[in-house]
Amino acid sequence: MDVYVIGVATHPAEDAVRNMRLEEMVYKTARAALDQAGVLRSQIDHVTLAACDEIDARGITSMLLAAPAGAYLKDEMRVTDSGLTGLHLGAMRVASGDLGLGLVVSWNQSAVVPLEDIARIRAEPFFLRPIAMNFAIAEGLYANQVLNNNNWSETQVAAQVHALMAVAQRNPRAVKRPVKSIDEISTTEMLAYPLRVGHRAPITDGAVAMVLASGDWVRKHPDIKPLAKIAATAWAVNRYQLDAQRLNDIDFFTQTMQLAITRAGLKSLDDLDFVELDSQNAWVDLMLSEVFKNASNVALSPSGGAWAQNPYFCTGLMNAAEAVLQVSDLAGANQIV
Amino acid sequence: MKRQNVAVIGVGQTQFRARYDEKTYPELAQQAVTLTLKDAGITMDEVDAVIFSMAPTTFMGVNDADKWAVDYVWARGKPFMRVHTGGATGGSAFQAAYSHVASGQYNTVLVVGADRLTETPDAQYVLNLIWDQFYEQDFALNTVTMTALAAQRYMSKYGTTEEQYANVVVRARRNAMNNPSAHLKGDIKIEDVLQSPRVSWPYKRFDICPRSAGAAAMILTTEHLARERCSRPAFVTGTAGVSNTVFMGDRMGPYADTDFADFSELKSAARECFRQAGITDLMRQIQTVEIYDPFSSFQFPQLESLGFCESGTAQKLSDEGVFDMDGQLPVNPSGGTLCTNPIGVTGLVRALEAARQVMGKSEAMQVKNTHNALATAIGGSTQFFTVTMLSDEPRSVALAA
Repeated sequence: MDVYVIGVATHPAEDAVRNMRLEEMVYKTARAALDQAGVLRSQIDHVTLAACDEIDARGITSMLLAAPAGAYLKDEMRVTDSGLTGLHLGAMRVASGDLGLGLVVSWNQSAVVPLEDIARIRAEPFFLRPIAMNFAIAEGLYANQVLNNNNWSETQVAAQVHALMAVAQRNPRAVKRPVKSIDEISTTEMLAYPLRVGHRAPITDGAVAMVLASGDWVRKHPDIKPLAKIAATAWAVNRYQLDAQRLNDIDFFTQTMQLAITRAGLKSLDDLDFVELDSQNAWVDLMLSEVFKNASNVALSPSGGAWAQNPYFCTGLMNAAEAVLQVSDLAGANQIV
Repeated sequence: MKRQNVAVIGVGQTQFRARYDEKTYPELAQQAVTLTLKDAGITMDEVDAVIFSMAPTTFMGVNDADKWAVDYVWARGKPFMRVHTGGATGGSAFQAAYSHVASGQYNTVLVVGADRLTETPDAQYVLNLIWDQFYEQDFALNTVTMTALAAQRYMSKYGTTEEQYANVVVRARRNAMNNPSAHLKGDIKIEDVLQSPRVSWPYKRFDICPRSAGAAAMILTTEHLARERCSRPAFVTGTAGVSNTVFMGDRMGPYADTDFADFSELKSAARECFRQAGITDLMRQIQTVEIYDPFSSFQFPQLESLGFCESGTAQKLSDEGVFDMDGQLPVNPSGGTLCTNPIGVTGLVRALEAARQVMGKSEAMQVKNTHNALATAIGGSTQFFTVTMLSDEPRSVALAA
């Protein structure tokens, strides 16, 4: 794709942002991305939002938040899947040739809402909702399947969390927390067997914004140096039912990763320097890490991933922001050399 | 990847009605997909990506119901995203689908949506929740009272009468008699509208759209594939949108950038859409429009801000029959949103009906010699707008003309 990231900003990481309203968080983050890019809001021609009504506790959350996100009197569109999906759509809007310079903005202030209740209402009402399906149970089912397939020990899972927490503490954008020992993690409360509380990445509040520019725009503004090129995007959805077939299946992840590599003009996973994985718990992280077991040069989640900060809805876009900072040599203490 | 021209090659919609008790939400979406694939003459194996058009989920009480529909619309393993911009959702989803193909990322995409507003006892209670919980919900704001305020302001500015709004309803219901999918239709008189129960001045019940259930879908593809698959595709020649502040009070007065009575923010989106499509003389080059009109008050300010006539003059043209089926610019041959409003799909239906006009598939609703048809969608506090142009030739040709 002939699309570039010329500005990126993340809201300061906190477990809970309680001293400002969501629209203030969003405004400050969008503003910071524009400032970093060195462009004015009046220069952008569109905004792509990624936000969830249910987490924001509003019928149409963009009604209030579009303007603070920079979309006042701009061509604006919103997706509700995840922050990273917003980046995918934003990149395609730019690549279409109709739009030249825009913002992608996503946020999450879930500290003030019952996230597990929201997850429960996501379940269809006939089969899944009566069994009280929510994130914890879904993750527990997945972890159990991973355990059955791989026979990983609890100690290995706890060690994965411990390692990610340690990496995260080198990330200047992470929530500062003490790194728990493997023993501490292994003895946390059992949530949904074999998933323990300590296996999950703590959910945080946060926001992310990126300024995207077309190749034409970049070539007309040689004074502005792009931070990164969006070399490729790829994504896919899996089936809804959480049956054994689905829980066993990371084929789509593997296929999508391969497609992105091909589209980027790379040959194999070995051509990657690093990958930022979106894992909500250590079982998932171990499973996804398996895909890279033969690519020994690939650094996995150098930011610490969701253990650095995990603004649930926009963690994927946060990962993309970390990737932009890495390739532009702006990551700071966790910079890969 | 290179920018590609984009065309619609297949459309499908269910009949719209108050309830679909015999189908679940994903089954409803599936029905629209089946009809669309048949119309396009392709299978899901040929579809590269799926865009789901769905507005607030609170009507049904299933958060992210689009994911429930993944298996039903055969999206498993494909790129999938849900677009949601309130009432403008369908317009935005269509434009997102356009971006998938125009960007060169994908060749053939499906955009599908479904809604069932009557799953909730009163949609207006749910629509009160779109407002700020601290300052606005207690004012009993909903989409009816919100737009009634704008209608009052418009009437004050231009002297519009309730009879002139009633005439819009009469035309819409009459047009809908030719639309087998329409929810409300019939040969009614202006007196019937005026005598229907008062809801929120100036609105009576007949000035207000129904709460509809149903689904719609479209297939978009590249110019190359469209020419292979379809004898008369509808090319997407213009796409634009604009978003305003939620606060209606900030959209009036001497210091405001826009006026919420006039939908004047629509002007910039229309300008961009027409620039892309090469439209310079609207009344000559555009043969019909499918505009988003859930209330009888929505047609006049839209037609004016789109540029079809001067501010405050649409009501007179309406009285003179200019917007009738045999007038110079047939407006909403399908009956429009006044007759059918499944909110999360309504904007998509506007694009669908505009595409059908260009493709010559509108049957009894057909406007003869349609080369360009315009579709709009509106959402939020009348703050999100999309404008989309469908044409019988791709953009490069339209621009050269």
